[in-house]
Amino acid sequence: MHNANNLFINYMDKAVHGSPVVQANFLKVILKVSETIVKILKHENLIINLNYEPGKFWPAHKDKTVAFVDGGLDKTSFLSSAPLTIRAGSYIVNKAAKEEFFTQQKNCLVDLYDPDNELYDFIDDDNFEDLMLNKKKDAARIIFEASALVNHIQSERNIDLCFLHGPIQAILTPFTQQGFPPFTKLAAEYIIPFYKKKKMSPEDRHFINVYLECVKFIKKSPFPIYGVVETAVSAAYTKNLLYSFKSKGIISEKDYRETIDTIIKYRITDANLFEIILKKNQALKPIEIQKQFYGNKIIQRSMWDDLIEQYPKIFMGYVKVTDNQAPIRIETLNYPSNLISDFSYILAVSKLLPNYGYPVGLNVVDRFVKISNWMSKASRNYFTTHLLKQAINNKDKNTVSLALKILSKKNRAWMNRPTKRRISR
Amino acid sequence: MRKKLKWQTIGTVLGETNINEFFFSLKNYQAKKGDIVATETNVPDGNGKIISVTVWGKIMSIDCSNEWFPRQAAQELANEDIDIRDTILPTTRDELICKVSILGYTKNNEDKLKLLPLVYPVKPAASVNYPHSNDVEKLLISDLNSKHPIFIGSLLARESVEIKIDADNLVSRHVLITGMSGSGKTVMVRRIISELMQKMFPMLIYDIHGDYLGFVQKNKQMFPDNKVKLFYPNLSIKSEDKEIIYTLIEKLGKPLTEPQNDYLNSLINKVKYEESSLIKYINKLIAQSRDYIKDRNSKTKGASSGMGHIKAATMFVVNRSLGQVVKKLISMEQTNFRHRKKMVNLKFEQLPDAGTEPEKIISKGQLSILYLKGYETLPASAIVSILSESLFKHRQEVEEEIPPFLTIIEEAHNFIPSRTENKDNLPSVETIRKLITEGRKFGTGLMIVSQRPARLDETIVSQCNSHISFRIKNQKDQKFVRDTSETFDAEDTKQLPALANGQGVISGQVVNFSLPVQIKFDEQLLNTDIGNENFISTVEKWDDKETVKLRKKFAKDFSSISESDQRRPH
Repeated sequence: MHNANNLFINYMDKAVHGSPVVQANFLKVILKVSETIVKILKHENLIINLNYEPGKFWPAHKDKTVAFVDGGLDKTSFLSSAPLTIRAGSYIVNKAAKEEFFTQQKNCLVDLYDPDNELYDFIDDDNFEDLMLNKKKDAARIIFEASALVNHIQSERNIDLCFLHGPIQAILTPFTQQGFPPFTKLAAEYIIPFYKKKKMSPEDRHFINVYLECVKFIKKSPFPIYGVVETAVSAAYTKNLLYSFKSKGIISEKDYRETIDTIIKYRITDANLFEIILKKNQALKPIEIQKQFYGNKIIQRSMWDDLIEQYPKIFMGYVKVTDNQAPIRIETLNYPSNLISDFSYILAVSKLLPNYGYPVGLNVVDRFVKISNWMSKASRNYFTTHLLKQAINNKDKNTVSLALKILSKKNRAWMNRPTKRRISR
Repeated sequence: MRKKLKWQTIGTVLGETNINEFFFSLKNYQAKKGDIVATETNVPDGNGKIISVTVWGKIMSIDCSNEWFPRQAAQELANEDIDIRDTILPTTRDELICKVSILGYTKNNEDKLKLLPLVYPVKPAASVNYPHSNDVEKLLISDLNSKHPIFIGSLLARESVEIKIDADNLVSRHVLITGMSGSGKTVMVRRIISELMQKMFPMLIYDIHGDYLGFVQKNKQMFPDNKVKLFYPNLSIKSEDKEIIYTLIEKLGKPLTEPQNDYLNSLINKVKYEESSLIKYINKLIAQSRDYIKDRNSKTKGASSGMGHIKAATMFVVNRSLGQVVKKLISMEQTNFRHRKKMVNLKFEQLPDAGTEPEKIISKGQLSILYLKGYETLPASAIVSILSESLFKHRQEVEEEIPPFLTIIEEAHNFIPSRTENKDNLPSVETIRKLITEGRKFGTGLMIVSQRPARLDETIVSQCNSHISFRIKNQKDQKFVRDTSETFDAEDTKQLPALANGQGVISGQVVNFSLPVQIKFDEQLLNTDIGNENFISTVEKWDDKETVKLRKKFAKDFSSISESDQRRPH
């Protein structure tokens, strides 16, 4: 502990002298880990080189029908209201047939604080509702995206390749918390039209169940569907790779445990490692991963564990598009039957967005489904006016004060509000 | 207006509007820049009622964007030579945003279209329609209440919309026509002349290049009821204008000192001007001066002529200057003569005396062309000044010996230069200033044509109520047009450098509102005698004259003589 007067000097001292030491140590560790992982990857023949010749590639692939799917969400919220706008849409393109479709498959506009909202059953616990709010919004987005994929499969459109912006199977833990509300019957049927049971129990309508139905259906898709994640923050691939080696007896339990600990301690991610290991136009073959249980270890125990075990395993691979970008994570529910061809497509379509290095079609659909600023702004303005009007009509001083407090989003703004106090001379 | 329901919908008004402009989202390929569009809105009528009206506007610009086409993708396409049509990048989602300048509104329940200024903004999200050509045509002439509309061409953005301008305002309120060489000024003037000839309106053209001689050639064929007269200048001036000799000496001869000017003054006072030819008069001055010199050099030392106080040298200088002026005037006359001679099929007449026989120049149904080729600026300016002044006087007189007429001044920067050109003393400047300020009352309209508007006299230009501008690249000229023309808006001037031949922007009192126009080209009115500017072909067909051939032949012999001569010169 230092004297507070010297805080700035000490801070600068740490930045100049301390940080480089930490950094050097991090680099040393990550290099050591990567050296080991490269050996494993090579041993397993997991690194593939993809051919990138755009001049030849694109004319040869222009007759493919490709769908890009994404969901857009507006998360505006106030103390007294939680409007939620979600839409899932697709960009489907076949250049040979001169077809470019932008479709909005699923959309929903509800107020999550409304007891009669059509999306979730209402749980009458104010504190709990508040905590659950963001989880409910995330679950809604995930399920709408999955529903859009289901929709594509059902439409029997002749699709050659399909890409989802995000993981092909979401991590379920946040939604297993006790009290997470089930979808309404209406919502469940809207999400999966064929999911009709005569008597749908709240468990049947719960996210874990509805999503499982979607995932199972998606797994049966006649065309390959890939989830693309541009910022991989986990080390799922590495950990699973090490686990499979330990299972085969190639590495000892001790080495496995210590390496996993190091990875966790240093927060080493797949993206960090493969950015070092892979060169541009290289990819990692997908490996099978039980997404909900890392290395056979259940992340968090819940009443849904049995159901979660029914979730299919996924296949996870990586594609490095440019030298300057971390590789993108590719997830799929089935092992690709045309791995090289499909990964080459992912590479080529990502090369068209060189600064981000992920499929440009996902960038296009992302812009399409995004809830525009003007929409959320207008809704916010409308809400504000409405709230104030109601408060003022009420004529109760405390109600007006509460309305103002709600509108001044942060406490500091509320503290600094203009008051009627007379200015002293 | 009753047909409005059938108008095609081409877009939707965007969220923010005002009374001057609005933006709308356009369907692909449904309209062009310069197109006239309409949208319906409600406005308060001032009597407590809300009325439904049609708001008219002109598309000033169109911005196109493909929101879903990332910039970096463009770079990759270029670098790797990829055809976007092969990739998955979207090409069909262009967003077209048009900026519309509001022209005004017309009431929906009135049959006659009267364009009124909009006082209430356009309704956002309203449909934008593409009116029928005949509705646009009706709108374009609606407000002018023109008794004599004349056809000049079509709307630049829409060929099917004919543009007519108001002839009454054209002939009385002065028009400025500007544009680079070859941009379409003369095409426009020819178009106007053709139309006015059909209305038997008298016109006088000061033609420097012979651009209008086609009217003489096609007189009988195309304008059987009109007379087309072709004149060459007669350097005659009135006695009260004889002071022009001072200016001629200053510009064509050697500038005189004060004593020399005094001497010239004595000469002019002494020699009576007989209102015949200016050259004859100057020759008389020279003869008189010679007599004075003789007398000055005699034994009497000038006592008999009363010029004894003037130095002989002063007299010599004045004499020499007068000689120079005469020589140049004769040379210009001869040049003009040579040009006329080339056009054997055209009948040139000497310009009649405008003072005594104005009807020979201006009469109903007559087009008079004064062919000024070969004349330098000053004499040409003097001719223009004297003739215009004379004709104007006739219009001012109670008797009105001649009908109202239109004067067309080609290459006007030669006759009415800006003050910055330091040619303030050109006699035509003052005359035209007078004509342009008072001419409207007397029916003597002016059409000023120039390729360098920035070099024109600002006072005169500011009096031109209508302006037709063709392509202008010169920044100074563009600025001048922008600054001096109240009726041009900023978008109009922006498009001036990009206009093609025969395309112009017309604004002012001859039209309801500023319009980009494609002028109809009257090919048959080209002068076939002076040929075109195809100099390469001219050279290809070139054959030296006999004298030139002989000179070339003998030149060789003479050069061999000079080459063999080795003696030192004495």
